[in-house]
Amino acid sequence: MEALLVAFQQVLQPQVLLYLILGTVLGLAVGTLPGLTATMAVAILTPLTFWLPPESGLGVLIGVWNASIFAGGISAVLLNIPGTPASIASTFDGHPLVKKDQAGLALGINVLYSAIGGLFGILIFLIAAFPLARFALSFGPAEYFALGLFGLSMMIAVSGTSVVKGLIAGFIGLALSLVGLDPMLATPRFNLGSTQLITGLSFIPLMIGIFGLGEVFYQMVTTLGQPQEQTKPQGERKGFSSLGRMLVNAKEFVQTLPATIIGSVTGVVIGAIPGSGADIASLIGWEFSRRTSKRKEEYGKGSIEGLAATCTANNSCLGGALTTMMALGIPGDAVTAVLIGSFMMYGVQPGPAMFRDKSDFVFMVIGLMILANLFFLATGFIFSRFAGGFILLPKPIMWSTILILSLVGSFSLNNRLFDVWVAFLGGILGFLFRRYQFPLGPIILALILGPIVERNFRTALIISHGNPAIFLTRPISLIFILGTALALASPLFLRKKRGQKE
Amino acid sequence: MKKSRLNIFLLMGIVFSLILASGVSAQAAFPEKEITLIIQAAPGGVSDAVGRTMAASAEKILGVPIVPTNITGAAGAIAMGELKESPPDGYTIGYVPVELAMVKALGYADISPEDFDLIMRVNIVPAALTVRADAPYQTFEEFVEYAKEHPGEILVGTSGTGSIWHIAGLALEEVIGAKFTYVPFDGAAPSVAALMGGHIHAVTCSPTEVLSGVEGGDLKILAVLGEKRSPLFPEVPTAQELGFDINVMAWGGFALPKGTPEEVYDTIASAFWEALETETFQKIMEERGIEVSPLDGPAFREFAMQQFEMYMDLIPRALEQQ
Repeated sequence: MEALLVAFQQVLQPQVLLYLILGTVLGLAVGTLPGLTATMAVAILTPLTFWLPPESGLGVLIGVWNASIFAGGISAVLLNIPGTPASIASTFDGHPLVKKDQAGLALGINVLYSAIGGLFGILIFLIAAFPLARFALSFGPAEYFALGLFGLSMMIAVSGTSVVKGLIAGFIGLALSLVGLDPMLATPRFNLGSTQLITGLSFIPLMIGIFGLGEVFYQMVTTLGQPQEQTKPQGERKGFSSLGRMLVNAKEFVQTLPATIIGSVTGVVIGAIPGSGADIASLIGWEFSRRTSKRKEEYGKGSIEGLAATCTANNSCLGGALTTMMALGIPGDAVTAVLIGSFMMYGVQPGPAMFRDKSDFVFMVIGLMILANLFFLATGFIFSRFAGGFILLPKPIMWSTILILSLVGSFSLNNRLFDVWVAFLGGILGFLFRRYQFPLGPIILALILGPIVERNFRTALIISHGNPAIFLTRPISLIFILGTALALASPLFLRKKRGQKE
Repeated sequence: MKKSRLNIFLLMGIVFSLILASGVSAQAAFPEKEITLIIQAAPGGVSDAVGRTMAASAEKILGVPIVPTNITGAAGAIAMGELKESPPDGYTIGYVPVELAMVKALGYADISPEDFDLIMRVNIVPAALTVRADAPYQTFEEFVEYAKEHPGEILVGTSGTGSIWHIAGLALEEVIGAKFTYVPFDGAAPSVAALMGGHIHAVTCSPTEVLSGVEGGDLKILAVLGEKRSPLFPEVPTAQELGFDINVMAWGGFALPKGTPEEVYDTIASAFWEALETETFQKIMEERGIEVSPLDGPAFREFAMQQFEMYMDLIPRALEQQ
């Protein structure tokens, strides 16, 4: 408690608050726009903040980071286009809620539960930084492989109506993830002799294409030739102009409580593990809460529990990532890798020595993280309501805006025109998937987890000198592999049981 | 008749003024518009830090904005390819890393130091041999002995097959006469995490990347594999001091497309050199733990070609072994 007071003393100054607000506002914009990522924003702002005192400079960076991960959920919910990869899983239940005319509630859950997750992550950092960081290090290649495999077993859960179609989509994703350098031999694979393809298809442009362009193409084709009435905004058609209530009621809050806890814990642990970030945290958080939920069948069709789990997981991930970075000097995700650089610019080297010699600095960062969460909680409702007005716009305006944002976003990521073509390829895939009712979840899952599974499977075998027992003799790895086996086998048992009953 | 003559006069007048105008613009002092600086790595790393800090310092001297653009992919080959194809007018400058001497040997792209007019080398990053603090070997000599007695058992984490830190491991292996097993990771940071978690036995990346682990007491640097001791760890010897002939380091500098006019090259080179010597530049490099070790254009060219030839020999052998 005393520690917290020290923390707040340092950051509760008008100048620091001003910079934190500036960061939060920037973060809202960066997060909402697809193609602009938290990592990119923090990296570009880092040299600019060098001239500010540490608490103000880090105020901007931490503000941007927290707000953009939250704001990515807004586009995921409203448009079915994740604003940042962290909110991919929020499209699973967030967008179906919008289709059920509960846009306000979905946006409100995103604000409230992002803040709950974010604050939970910081709380864990405050009370258990070192044990958590040590646990995170026990994750070796075998554990990563098992975690990735467990994640891939979700393909079935996100397949929607047809498991076969889901698996086809998943395998297309796996095939696309094979393009690029072989992770072990570093030789180019399937690059068709092109230098542009040596490091593979960039994930974010592909994601923007599949979700953003694909959706626009599909809506344009299906609406074409239909009466004018259809192209009018939803609001006018139904005669409402608001989004409906945003706050969850007491009953819903109790209902989502288990999902909130599972999402928060999963997020903070996965965040702490080096090399896995908020995108994986929210996917796994969603799956954990689905498996333990009493209302499994609602997941993927607009479950408020599912949305709550993903929103808490991707924000509590921040606290976890910060824990490993600050306690051991090892980045927990891409943003903290950049933040190490800015810590060093302020003459602070992260690691155990920092907690001993520069504890003021540690508490200052904690204070900034807490305030950043409170800031976006306060402004998030207003901003979401404002952003929510977007779906009430006439469709042609909406389409052209999404098109422009998607193209600019995919280019600006690496400043490569080639990535715009990747986005187009994704757009065509996304269109075909929607047209023939293939689910999008499995392909995205495969693109994120496929490379992790492949790389770590092979790395683990190098480490064990070729002995596959490494996957079963390490406890964490064994648990995930059993979890995967259970997920794949349980439908068979259920069917048998049902058969016996009949 | 009269009218057409008037037209001819008018035409000639326009042509002359165009020629004059173009003559004037050719003589106008470089630079007269903004300059693009291509950085081959994502924002946040050492390349980006050096590039952006240089851009910020040099634009004050040149008087026009220098806009950093990060173009990533294929170990920098895409960015360097773009720089190679840019018009040699001084308005596109590139940051070039050690991979300038490596991508051809790796088979990613047909690029060598000869394709550019090199401006200057700015920084170097030596390799270092780092192990766990609780390892059975406490000195470099003990490590060498242990490695010879246990061929293939020591797991050395690298930042990727064919990467500069993998080459450092191979060079070390050759010079001490041992055999390692290499574990490629996606960058140096994950390999350091794996070392701290006890999944591997050693890494051969830069001292900066293991700084936190060493300060926290988990890791121990046995030797620097570059030409001089690291300012971060002045007490750690170099392998050369211990009698092993090895010198592997990453480096970075700036380059222009081949065929840049001499006046333009000189203007940029002197501005960059002046920027390098400013207090701000030096201070930011020091805070970030980046070792500044400048070479001028001709010296950088000679150095880069030497490195290029070394990697053309080492890398194909390295890839074969995997």
